[in-house]
Amino acid sequence: MTVFHFFNCAILTFGPHAVYYSATPLSEYDTLGTSIKAALVYLGTALVKLVCLATFLNVSENDNFDPSQELLKALIGFIDVAGLYFALTQLTHRNISQNHKFQAIGLGWAFADSVLHRLAPLWVGARGLEFTWDFILQGIEANANLVFSISLAALGSLMWLRKNKPKTLIPIIYACAGIVATMPSITSYLRRSLGWHFPKVVGFELFTSLMMAIISWQLFSACQRPSSA
Amino acid sequence: MESSKQGHREVLESMYSVIALIFVLVACVELGDAASAVDVYRLIQYDISGVPLGSRFASLNHHASSMHFSPGADLSRTVLVIPIRELDLSFVKEYISRRQPLGGLLFLLPQIFSFENKEGTGDSDKHHELELHKNSLLELEQSLVHANIPYPVYFAFEDDNVNAILADIKRNDASGQQATATTGGYKLVVSAAEPKKIASPVITNIQGWLYGSKADGDTNQLPTIAIVASYDTFGAAPALSVGSDSNGSGAVALLEIARLFSILYSNPKTRGRYNLLFGLTSGGPYNYNGTHKWLRGFDQRQRETIDYAICLNSIGSWDNELYVHVSKPPENAYIKQFFEGISSVAEELGVKVGLKHKKINISNSRVAWEHEQFSRHRMTAATLSELSVASGLLERTGGLSDGRHFVNENSVARAVKLVAESLARHIYGYQGKNIEIFADGSSLAINPSYIGSWLNLLSQTPRVAPFLLKNDPFVLALKKELTDHTDEVIMQTEVLEGMFTFYDSTKATLNVYQVASVTFDLLLLLVLGSYLIVLFSFLVIVTRGLDDLISLFRRPSSRKVKTA
Repeated sequence: MTVFHFFNCAILTFGPHAVYYSATPLSEYDTLGTSIKAALVYLGTALVKLVCLATFLNVSENDNFDPSQELLKALIGFIDVAGLYFALTQLTHRNISQNHKFQAIGLGWAFADSVLHRLAPLWVGARGLEFTWDFILQGIEANANLVFSISLAALGSLMWLRKNKPKTLIPIIYACAGIVATMPSITSYLRRSLGWHFPKVVGFELFTSLMMAIISWQLFSACQRPSSA
Repeated sequence: MESSKQGHREVLESMYSVIALIFVLVACVELGDAASAVDVYRLIQYDISGVPLGSRFASLNHHASSMHFSPGADLSRTVLVIPIRELDLSFVKEYISRRQPLGGLLFLLPQIFSFENKEGTGDSDKHHELELHKNSLLELEQSLVHANIPYPVYFAFEDDNVNAILADIKRNDASGQQATATTGGYKLVVSAAEPKKIASPVITNIQGWLYGSKADGDTNQLPTIAIVASYDTFGAAPALSVGSDSNGSGAVALLEIARLFSILYSNPKTRGRYNLLFGLTSGGPYNYNGTHKWLRGFDQRQRETIDYAICLNSIGSWDNELYVHVSKPPENAYIKQFFEGISSVAEELGVKVGLKHKKINISNSRVAWEHEQFSRHRMTAATLSELSVASGLLERTGGLSDGRHFVNENSVARAVKLVAESLARHIYGYQGKNIEIFADGSSLAINPSYIGSWLNLLSQTPRVAPFLLKNDPFVLALKKELTDHTDEVIMQTEVLEGMFTFYDSTKATLNVYQVASVTFDLLLLLVLGSYLIVLFSFLVIVTRGLDDLISLFRRPSSRKVKTA
C-alpha cells in the first residue's frame, strides 16, 4: 500500500464525517463545539469500557464464540449507551434545536470512534507494500458506523429528550435502540461463530445501518408531527 | 491543553492494543492476502584477482515476472522467477553472456534439494527427475559462478506458498499484462545492506597424529603415512553449499579410517611401525590453498619422514570404479606399492581401481588435485576419487546439487574399507596375503551408521571456508572428533590468501507483496470522490432542499464575479 492508497482509505474513512457536517445545517449553526464535546465523552466512555472489559472479561486463547463472555461484552457495550445519554442530556449545549443536537453528537461520536479504531491501523498499514481490501472495507465500515451512531443518537434523543411522543411508538423506539446498541455484539457473533468473512460482515453492517437509519428517520418524523401540530 | 493532549495520546495507546487484537483476528480470517516471507540464498559474490564475479548486488525491490513474459518487454525493472523444473538453460546463459539488463533473478529449487528435507528418494521416478535436475543445475551453476552479473540473483526452495504465488504470476503474464507499477501484481523485496568484503578470511586445517611404536623410543624417526581430505566447499549459493560428495564423503571417510586405526593403535601389541597423520584441510576449492599452507608449515625433516600421502576426494557416489590419481610416474616405488596394495584389496572387494597419471605444470597456478600440492612440496601422494578426470576451477566443489541424496553411504564405506585394508596390510606387512583385518562383524568392522551420521551432519552444514568462523562450531566438532581418535591434534589457522576476495550477505528474507496498481488507486479515488459528492448532494437535498444545493453552487461563482 502506498501513500496514495493510504490517502484514499483515509478519505473513505473520515470523508463522510466532514461531508455530513458541511452538507447539513450543522455547519450553519456552528455545532462543532457540541461534536467535540461528544467526542470527548466518547473518549471517556471508551476508557471506562476498557477498564470494564479488562476487569470482567477472561482472556480467551481461541477465537471461539463463548456465549456467556459475549453476553458480558454486550452488557459492557451498553456503557456506550450510557455515555451517549450523558452527552445528550447532561452536557450544556448552546441553544441548538434537538434536531441538530443529536446529529452533532452522533457525528462527534462516530468521528471519535473512527479516529480511535481505524486511524492507527491505517497508519501502520500504510507503510506496508502489501495490498489488501481490508482498509477499504474498514473505511466502508466506518461509514456504516457513522449511520449507526446518528441513528442511535436520534433514538436516544427520542427516548430521553422528547416528552410527548405517541405511546404506541415507545416500544418500537426502545426495540430499535436495543438493536442498534447490540450491533457490535451481533457482528462479532457473525464473524466468529458463523465464520463470516470481513466483506460479508461489512456488507451486513452497511445494509442494517441503512435499514436502521430509515426506521429511525421514520420514527423521528412520526414523533415530530404531533408536537408540531 | 497540554495535559489533555497527553491524555488523548494515552487513551490512544491503550486503545491500540485492543485495535491490534481486533485486526489480528481480521488478519487471521484473511490469511491469503498477507505478505509472505521466503528464505532466499544469494548467489556468491567474489573477485578473482580483482575481476568481479558472481552477483554484485543484494537488495531487490522489483515486480515479479515468470518466464512467460511478453517478447520484447523491458525487463530491467523485473525479477524473473524461474523454477529449476522449467529451466531454459540456453535462455539464461544467453541473458548472462549478453549482459542484458534485468531487475533480478530468483531460481526456485525443488524442495528435494533442501538439506532440511529428510524424505528419502525411494521413488525411482523421483530419482530420475533428480538426476535430470542435477545436470541442469550443474551447468547453471557454472555459468552463474563464472559470470559477472550486475543484478541480484537468489535461490529459494519451492513450497506451496511460493508455488501459489508463481502460479498467480504466470496467470498474470499469460493474460499479457506485464507486471509494472500501473498493473499491480507481485513485488519482491529483499532489504539487504550492500555486500561488504570479508576482511582476511581464515581457513583452518586440523591435523591429528597417531604415533606408531618403536622399540627404542623416538617416534619421530618412524616413517609416516598421511591421509588427507579437504572438508570445505564452494557453491553458487554459499549458504546452501553442503558438498555431501565433494568433499564431505572424503572427510567422513577420513574420520572413519582414523577411528579404525585408533582402535588398532590403542593396543601396544597392534600398534604399527608407522606414524599416521590425518589432515582435514580447508581451502580445497581454491587450488588447495589450505593444503599448501599446511605443508609449508612442516620442516624439512618432517617432510622427509612422510612416505606418502593418500588424499580422499569425492568418494560418495561411485558404483564400481575408483581412480588413483598421481602426478609422479607410476614407476615410483611408493606409488607402485600403494597401487598394488589397493588393487589387490579391490579385487577381493570386487571393485575396479584405475590409475591415472597427470603431470603437474609448476608454472600453472591451477592445482586440480590435492596430491599435486604434495608433489609441489616434493612428497609422494595420490588422490583416490570417483572422478576420472580433473575438474576445472570451482567445479565439483559442493554446489547446489551436491546433496545427501546423491551420496551413498555404502560407497563411502567401501572406499573406507579399500583404503583402510590396504593401509593396514602395508603397515603390518601382510601384502598379498588374504587376511581381512577390518572384517564385517568383528570389533574392527566398518561402522555404516557412524559414516551415515557424519554424512548427515556434513550434508546439513554449509562449509564455504570464508564464511566459516575461526571457531565455528562445525570446525570445533571436527577437531573434537579427531581428538577422540588420535594422540595429538593441532589446529592451524591461516589467512586465505591469493587471488580470492569474498563478499558477505549470503542469506536473506524475501518479502512478497501483492501490490495494487496506481491505476487502481486512481480509479478508487474517482469512485470515492463521486461517492462523497453524491453523499453531499443527497444530504443537502434531504436537509435543506434542492434549491439550497443549486444556490450553493451558484453563490461562489457570483462572488468571484464581484471580487473580480
